[in-house]
Order: sequence, then structure tokens, then C-alpha cells
Amino acid sequence: MSDTAAVTMTFHPRPEAGEPQPWAFPAPERATLSNGLTLLRCHRPGQQVVAVEINLTAPLDAEPEGLDGVATIMARALSEGTDKHTAEEFAAELERCGATLDAHADHPGLRVSLEVPASRLAKALGLLAEALRAPAFADAEVDRLVRNRLDEIPHELANPQRRAAKQLSKELFPASLRMSRPRQGTEETVARIDSAAVRAFYEAHVRPATATAVVVGDLTGIDLDAVLADTLGAWTGDTAEARPVPPVTADDTGRVVIVDRPGAVQTQLLIGRIGPDRHDRVWAAQVLGTYCLGGTLTSRLDKVLREEKGYTYGVRAFGQVLRSTADGKGASMLAISGSVDTPNTGPALEDLWKVLRTLAEGGLTDAERDVAVQNLVGVAPLKFETAASVAGTLADQVEQELPDDYQAQLYAQLAETGTVEATAAVVKAFPADRLVTILVGDAALIEEPVRALGIGEVTVVSN
Amino acid sequence: MGHTATAQAGSGGLTATEHRLANGLRVVLSEDHLTPVAAVCLWYDVGSRHEVKGRTGLAHLFEHLMFQGSASVPGNGHFELVQGAGGSLNGTTSFERTNYFETMPTHQLELALWLEADRMGSLLAALDDESMENQRDVVKNERRQRYDNVPYGTAFERLTALAYPEGHPYHHTPIGSMADLDAASLEDARAFFRTYYAPNNAVLSVVGDIDPEKTLAWIEKYFGTIPSHDGKQPPRDGSLPDIIGEQLREEIVEEVPARALMAAYRLPHDGTRECDAADVALTILGGGESSLLHNRLVRRDQTAVAAGFGMLRLAGAPSLGWLDVKTSSGVEIPAIEAAVDEELARFAAEGPTAEEMERAQAQLEREWLDRLSTVAGRADELCRYAVLFGDPQLALTAVRRVLDVTAEEVQAVAAARLRPDNRAVLVYEPLAADGAQGEEGEENADSDENEGAEQ
Repeated sequence: MSDTAAVTMTFHPRPEAGEPQPWAFPAPERATLSNGLTLLRCHRPGQQVVAVEINLTAPLDAEPEGLDGVATIMARALSEGTDKHTAEEFAAELERCGATLDAHADHPGLRVSLEVPASRLAKALGLLAEALRAPAFADAEVDRLVRNRLDEIPHELANPQRRAAKQLSKELFPASLRMSRPRQGTEETVARIDSAAVRAFYEAHVRPATATAVVVGDLTGIDLDAVLADTLGAWTGDTAEARPVPPVTADDTGRVVIVDRPGAVQTQLLIGRIGPDRHDRVWAAQVLGTYCLGGTLTSRLDKVLREEKGYTYGVRAFGQVLRSTADGKGASMLAISGSVDTPNTGPALEDLWKVLRTLAEGGLTDAERDVAVQNLVGVAPLKFETAASVAGTLADQVEQELPDDYQAQLYAQLAETGTVEATAAVVKAFPADRLVTILVGDAALIEEPVRALGIGEVTVVSN
Repeated sequence: MGHTATAQAGSGGLTATEHRLANGLRVVLSEDHLTPVAAVCLWYDVGSRHEVKGRTGLAHLFEHLMFQGSASVPGNGHFELVQGAGGSLNGTTSFERTNYFETMPTHQLELALWLEADRMGSLLAALDDESMENQRDVVKNERRQRYDNVPYGTAFERLTALAYPEGHPYHHTPIGSMADLDAASLEDARAFFRTYYAPNNAVLSVVGDIDPEKTLAWIEKYFGTIPSHDGKQPPRDGSLPDIIGEQLREEIVEEVPARALMAAYRLPHDGTRECDAADVALTILGGGESSLLHNRLVRRDQTAVAAGFGMLRLAGAPSLGWLDVKTSSGVEIPAIEAAVDEELARFAAEGPTAEEMERAQAQLEREWLDRLSTVAGRADELCRYAVLFGDPQLALTAVRRVLDVTAEEVQAVAAARLRPDNRAVLVYEPLAADGAQGEEGEENADSDENEGAEQ
């Protein structure tokens, strides 16, 4: 039966690596425009599509009581008409530049992302500035966005991954924290939003003095200062005091919540708690350890759950910053996410916990640590090939109150992090008895096997 | 054209050279020294269209097996070695081809070439029952995760089955059916490899910070002794009449959050000027927030949450124009359908305005610039044009061809093709009174793209 005999190619020993080429995470130039707007620029030769990221300091925490979702509606309404263009005209003008413009609201603030071919940057920045400076917020457009948003909600709840995320936030955070509730609001709160509420939120939180623009791409032949003077630089506004944010707390008592979905062929799992953010010294070790646990198909979780047992298409462990501030009050979500087939839900969770316990008992190996460092550090030039990826990371750093060379420093730290530190960080990040498990699946089939695992109290909620 | 964003109109000054080894392996090289990275891309000229009845999903299942080790690479070594070298990798399967790709830091390029050659020449030395059984389960879970357990998840499969008749090579999608995945045997996988995985049935492209002479020497060294073979039968003929000739229709009552109207229009084959014209037409009608359907259904009538057109370009069968409308609460399908038909009919009668042409072409041009902005994107496009159209250089001029399309051509293709008697319609009705989608028609070996280890 062996086909070895049929193989006639000449085999060669595995080649050795050549001489590594130097590469460094791009350092942006930082400046402040006369209107107080912070500017980060970064020239990336060959990147013909320029990426612009705008950070607006309008955190979800600032949404008025009962109006969850107003930041989202405001973000969307920015591109629905200005003092110079109707909503339809504005969309048409943007697309005429070959541009895309996206805006979304998250816990730390609002982000507006523009991508446009370099030759049309000036025109597109003009439109972006118009949207920030003089949004129309017409009643009819805001009403339409509200109805559209209400129609979106059932689609999100039907998606097992998003349904699980919503439940985890509700379980983890106290009801008093904005983080316990959906970022884009609920049917009840969104229905209350009108153009007056959107305008009030805009006036309270959107101004150049608390905004940052990141511009990345091939800027050859572009007089960016002149372009900015006519666009974002012409935006005026007052100044504002930084808004205090409450510390993030969470209840990570080990427990299981099943969101019942009769007939589901798979169980969506989301297992999480909160942990330190990027301002904590442990971050690099936590990134490294989390990668070893569940960063890829050859990490500990998938090695068993996918490549040995075939229970899943893939399970990932990750740390995602929720809100990060220099005063140390921030937090990240630490989680394990994936889906497993319904009949194997119990066995898959049993194996998952076994992986966590084995890791806590025996720790990572040096070989695992080495491969992880080589990957995390080595992929940097690939990961930051496009202007959009560089701009996104620079804007994240600003949003998280980190220095502009943070990413470069992180690579240096990762390279110096040892096996012992990485083990300690990941074991602390994913303690087997302090994890909240959300399962979106068929309760009638999975409840008993999950109960038998003893990973915490099990409750079932309706979809 | 007249309104291009770049002086070079998309080729960006890129060039590519072509080579062929004695065993028939075609090689395309393209230099770019801006970043110290190199992309390796290997397209095998085999996809789900080559599968036979009772063995749907085999090409994709086989793609997974290509990551399970080969003569010199044990277990998950393909993943481990590439990732450990600071590279990224994956493979995907579509109707018309299977591709494998690595992006490496420049100094690790040789490793990627060695790995690809090892599995091209010696996969069967490592392939066993254990990996076959394991990856069968993984792929079945991939199917559940991406299609069976999400609302509207099987729409693509259903519409494809409607749009291409029974027995047509594109009647089934690359993921295949559960029954056929269960039925595939180790011997099927071996036969599949022997038939399709040959150097003379593949194109290898290497793009980025490379020394072409040295790269070619490595390719010759690692791939040069892999024997060619000619067991492959051409795929079944995928050609069909230009027009379906009637409206095909299926209504599904299922647990979905809202009513939906989806449709697949039969369009010209990829590689033709008419196909590029159709792309522009669909962009004007349903690509983005200033499109005719978005303006009509989402902005003005406010009957839809989202409305748009996509396009599935196919070379070996008619392409598909892909309509997707999710209704607002309480809205009935006939209202949506009437509005869509009215917009399409008016567009066919009046043709696009100059401004609509400008907007659509600017959007399509940016999409091309995006695709070519990474070495991996360029490597994939070079392989695509080499495998499907015999000429990789066409990748570097593709955007020029889209910009060259005229308003008259757009109108002509819309009038000829975007008609009710040339579509398959799928209607969703929610079960009770009362979406997540990936790239259609493409399956991955690894689920990695969802969430990375965020740093």
C-alpha cells in the first residue's frame, strides 16, 4: 500500500535561513495643528492606498443614561450629509474618489477610517473634514439610521458568535458599567435616539482639540501640510477637560451559561474573564503565553481539539484591549473562542480544561516559547505591509494612551521574555477555576454533559 | 478611462518574468524590494469542478491533507516550520483551483520553496488513515461553522445548485455535502493526488524582495526532479447558453432573523470584456453606499436593511452576479422584487451616467490597488491569470481593462443579462413571525483569519 516507492524526486536537507534583513516598526512624525488636533504621519513608500484614522475621544461611557447606541448612530450619521452635501451626494463624492469611509464607536472612543488612492487624498480629506466639522444630522437621516439599526439587531442576535459575546459582557461586568451592555445599544435604547440626542452627543464630545489624525501611505509628491491646512486644520472648536472613567471590574467566578438554541448543530463557545492591559508590564509575556495556548492551529488547544480530536474547525485564545488608560484603570478581555459539534460539546470542554490544567501544572516548554517568539516577532514585516495595518496600530496606541514607539518596544520585550515568565502570565490569565463560560447551543443535548464536568454552576437562558 | 488614480493605471510599475522547468512547472517571478518579505504562491489547476458525483468536497478535504505532513516534514510541520520562521500560510479551494501560499521574511524564502516541493513530490509518503479521519471531522466542523449553523448559511450552496443545472461541474460548491465527505476514502485521496498534484498542473509565483536568479536556482533544485505526469482529464465542459431562459425559484422557510431576497444572474465568463463590463454594471447597481439599489431600497423606500450586488468571476463557466437583500421588519418580498426589477430595467434602458461610470471605476480601481498592495496579493493574481488564462502578465493590466470599459458596454451587458428570465431566485421566509458570511465559494485550511493573537 505504501506509495514511497513511487516517489522519485531528489530530496535535499531542510535549508537554513539566510541573513535576516533589518526591519523596524515605522516611527511616525508627531505634530499638533493650530486647532489643537494631534497629527501622526508616516510615509510608506509604494503604498498607493493611503490610510487615515481619526480618533475622537467620545467613549461609550459618556453616552447619556438610557441612550446606549447614540455614539454608534452619531458615528454613522457623520457621513450622512453635511453643510455642503446631502447624504446621497456625500456618499457619491466619496466613491468618486475611490474612497471608503467607515466609522464606529467602541468603549475608548470613536474611530473614523478613510482609505483612498494617494492621488485623491486631498479631495477625500476635504470630505472627511466636512463630515467632522459640519455634519448635518438631519432628522430624516437620523431616523432612518435608527430604524436601520433596529433592523440589524435581530441579525446580530441570530449569529452565534455575537450572541455569545453579548452574553459574556452581561455576565462579567456589573450592570452599572457601560461594558455590561451591547456597544451599539439595545432595541429599547436605540428606539429613543433622535437627531437632537445625536447632536448633543456630538457637541459634547467631538472637537479637534481632543482628536487625533493618523495618515499613512506613500506621500511622495503630496504637500500634506498644505492639504491638512485646508481640510482637518480648518476645523475649529473649543477645548475640553479629560473625562474621568470608572475602573473596570468583573465577576469571574467560574460558571457556565447556556444560551439555548434548540436544533443547533454546533455549540459556540466563548470562555472569558478580564485581565491586565498594555500598560501592565506583564503584557508581552501574556501575549506570548496566550499564543502558545491558542494562537494558531499548532498551539496547545488546537493541537488536541482540532488536530487530534477533530471536534472543531479551530479554537483561539486571545487578549483584546477593552479600554486602556495611562492611569492603570484599563482592562483587556481574555478569552477562548470557537465552535464544536453538538454531540462532542462535553468531551471538547473536558479536553479544553485538561489543556488548561496541564499547562498550569507543567508549564510551557522552551521550544514552544522559541517558536512563538519567532512567529510573533518574525511576522511583523508581513503584518505591517499595508498602510491600513500601520495606521490602525498607530491609532490604537493613541487611543490606549501608549507612546508612539510602543509596538517597536513590544517586539523587543517579546524577544526577551523567557519561558517561565510566559508560563506565569498565561496561567494567571486563564485560571481553570475563574472562567465564565458561555455556550450558545442546544441545551437539551449539552446541559447534562457540561454539568458533569464540574466547571461551575450551570444556568440556561433562552435565546 | 480618463480618471485613473495612478499614473501607471494600476500596474504600479510592476513587472513579472516567466519560466518553465523541464517537468512542466510554470514559474512567475516579480521583484519588489520595498519591504523585506517574499510571497510564495502555488496554484494547482484543480478545484471542485473536477470532482465527480458522490465525491463532492474532495478537492477541499484534500487541501487540508496537504498540511498533514510529507516525506521530509512530520505531522503539522508545514504549519510549524513556516510560523516558526516568522511566516504566515494557508490554502484555499474554489470551483476552479486550489492554492497554497506562504508569506515569509525574505531570509526564509528558501524554506517555503523546500516545503512546497516536498509535499508536491512526496505527500503520499506521509498520508495515512489517521490524518484522513481527523481532517474529515475538521472539515465537517468547518461546514457546520460556516454554513449549517449560521442564518442564511446555505444560501450560496442553494443558489449555485439552482443556477447551474444538475450534472454541471459547478452545480455543487467546494465545501461538498456531509454524505460525500463521509464517503471519501483514503484511496480516493491518493488517486486525487496522483491525478492532479503534478508540476505540469501547477503554477508557482514568487513575489517580493527576491534575487530572481537565486530564487530560480532554488526552484530548480527543489522542484526540478519531481516527475511530471499526465493522468488528468480535462474538467467537464462548463459552458451554458448565455441566458437561463426562465426564472428559477426556491422559497425556504427557515429560522432566519428576517425575510431575504437573493438571486444569482448568469453573466459572461471571466477573461472577457463583457465580464469586466458586468463588473462595472453590478458596482453601479449594488456596490457600496452610493449604488442605485442602496439608494432606492435602504435610503428612499427604507424597505431593506442592506442591499447589494457581488460578483463571482468564473473562467470555466458563466460568472454569477450575486444579489442579496435583507428586508426591514414587516416588508414583504414582492415589494422588494418589484423595486429591484424596476431599477434593473431602468438601468438597462437608460444606461449609466458619466458620473456613475466614474464612481464605479474609481471603486474598482481602489479594490485592485488594495489587492496589489501586498506581495501575497500580487503573487495570487499572477497565478490566477497564469492558470486560468495562460498569461500572468494579464494580472498587471487587469485594472486598465476595467477602466477601459465604456458606458455603452455596461448598458449592453445589463440589458442582455440582468433580466428576470436570467436568474435563479432564493427567497427566505422566517419560520416564526418575527449574518455572518465569509468569502463565498472559497474554503480555507485554517480558521486563523478570524482572530489572531492580538498584540
